[in-house]
Amino acid sequence: MVFYTSLIWEYMKNYIKTKLTYRADFWVEVLSDLLFQATNLIFILVIFQHTDSLGGWSEAEVVFVYGYFMIPYGIFMSFINLWGFSERYIVKGEMDRVLTRPAHSLFQVILENIDPPSIIGSFVGAVILGICWVQLDIPFGIVELLVLIVMVIGSVMIYTGVYTALTAISFFSDAPTGILPLMFNIQGYGRYPITIYNRLIQVVLTWIAPFAFVGVYPASYFLDQEITKSFALLTPVMGIVFLTGGILFWNYGVRKYRGAGS
Amino acid sequence: MLAIDVKDLRKEFNVQKNREGVKGAMLDLFRREYTKVRAVKDISFQIPKGEICGYIGENGAGKSTTIKMLTGILVPTSGDIRVNGFVPYQEREKFVRGIGVVFGQRSQLWWDIGVIESFQLLRKVYRVPEAEFKKRLDELVERLQLQDLLNRPVRKLSLGQRMRCELVASLLHNPSIVFLDEPTIGLDIVVKTEIREFLKQMNQRYETTILLTTHDLQDIEALCSRVIMLDDGRIIYDGGLDELKAKWGKGREVHFQFAAPFQLEQLQFLTAGLEVAWSIENEYTAKVWIPLEVNVSDVLSRVVGTTEITDIKIIETNTDDIVREIYKSGSAEESKLHLLGEEKVSNV
Repeated sequence: MVFYTSLIWEYMKNYIKTKLTYRADFWVEVLSDLLFQATNLIFILVIFQHTDSLGGWSEAEVVFVYGYFMIPYGIFMSFINLWGFSERYIVKGEMDRVLTRPAHSLFQVILENIDPPSIIGSFVGAVILGICWVQLDIPFGIVELLVLIVMVIGSVMIYTGVYTALTAISFFSDAPTGILPLMFNIQGYGRYPITIYNRLIQVVLTWIAPFAFVGVYPASYFLDQEITKSFALLTPVMGIVFLTGGILFWNYGVRKYRGAGS
Repeated sequence: MLAIDVKDLRKEFNVQKNREGVKGAMLDLFRREYTKVRAVKDISFQIPKGEICGYIGENGAGKSTTIKMLTGILVPTSGDIRVNGFVPYQEREKFVRGIGVVFGQRSQLWWDIGVIESFQLLRKVYRVPEAEFKKRLDELVERLQLQDLLNRPVRKLSLGQRMRCELVASLLHNPSIVFLDEPTIGLDIVVKTEIREFLKQMNQRYETTILLTTHDLQDIEALCSRVIMLDDGRIIYDGGLDELKAKWGKGREVHFQFAAPFQLEQLQFLTAGLEVAWSIENEYTAKVWIPLEVNVSDVLSRVVGTTEITDIKIIETNTDDIVREIYKSGSAEESKLHLLGEEKVSNV
């Protein structure tokens, strides 16, 4: 564990060394990230100009969920960036290099693609969450803070598990699959009150692609929403289950890795 | 002690068959057909510790696939591998700490950061203690003269400079076995020589076992006491380079330049009784082909004593020719027959 933590720091240092030389690039990335989030937020605000409640949820509550969502999402985006995996590691064969090094292959791949600017989204999310927290007059103490941290960790684990498993599909098929963008779209649904969807979508968002655990479920722990509150505490459990599953599937995939070219 | 022990190693790949045309593509969409391609066909070999072994064969013979199985990148379809006492793919992370790998076609270093930073990162990954790392790095840097390159980003290095850095990168953790996949590809003769010298010295000093694949037989001649030759996934030769030359070398050719014009019959008369074949280029120069069973000195003594000669050149069949012959025929055994057949022809 100490070993892996020190590696994170080493890779971070190198990231900073390479990326900070292109300062403009860095700010453009931060800015486009934030703009992307802003459009989503504006969408929520527009909806609430037409209605007072969405499935029994007030504007402040929905924005609260959104603010919560941004925190794990920002962490996930800055640490787990597997978009180019198939292209770079499978097709170009860089997995060969990774596999000749004495650290877990997934960990190495993650570290090589680290993207810290995205973390700024988390801070913005925390600010939004804080504003709504005050508006909704939710009590805040050490217990709430700890629960929030556990929830965020659980949510990040779910994301990581799901995307690790999906990325590991590349080990079996050379062709890039369209499933990643699809997932990316689905994950947006987790930000809204789950009760507004029909039964099937609820099941999918809870058990299959459990993106409701990266948004509405954990956030509702702090809100007055009885239906979903009971699910909130499942967040860390689902996190452990999905992350373990994702890593196991990855390990299985590595054994099926075929290498590229000569 | 054995560094590498391989028994009945086999690797099969499922290769997708693409049917022709649009109709075929549609069919592929629903039911894919695969063909099994056997890249490595039940090979066995053992390499003792401290040996430099050359692994040669044509493109697609299965060299890289074998290396990838030996380094734990690929999982074999069947067979046993033991490298350094480990089964590579089973305890991969522990195993790779004791080996070094260089793929000539692919960089092991980080493209954007300075060379020294790549080395530092590798130090962390391999958990080499600082003091040991420093000592080792100093030694390697001095030996390969990298002092000026250390702070440059890898993408700004020339191929030769990069390859020397790659070598250092693979050796920082002092591995007991080093796998080199075409380490001299694309390099100029100076760098090639330097790298060969370096590898040789390292082998003598640290008893590092080296397995290298190459298309440049000069590498083999300079370094390897042993060659394993692969063709179509099978080992067709495993043994010393000298034996290979002795066994399958075609013989020698001696070129004579005479002071005065001569006749073919004269020369044939001189060497009567010896199984040699003469051919003439022009009035003053002639070539004689001498099979291995006949001593060159016997022929020389008969010719030199009776004719005035201005120049003599003895030409040995070089390894390239031998290997080319063997590749062409696909088996070292068959090729022997083939060469013998040719000898007979030239003797007539």
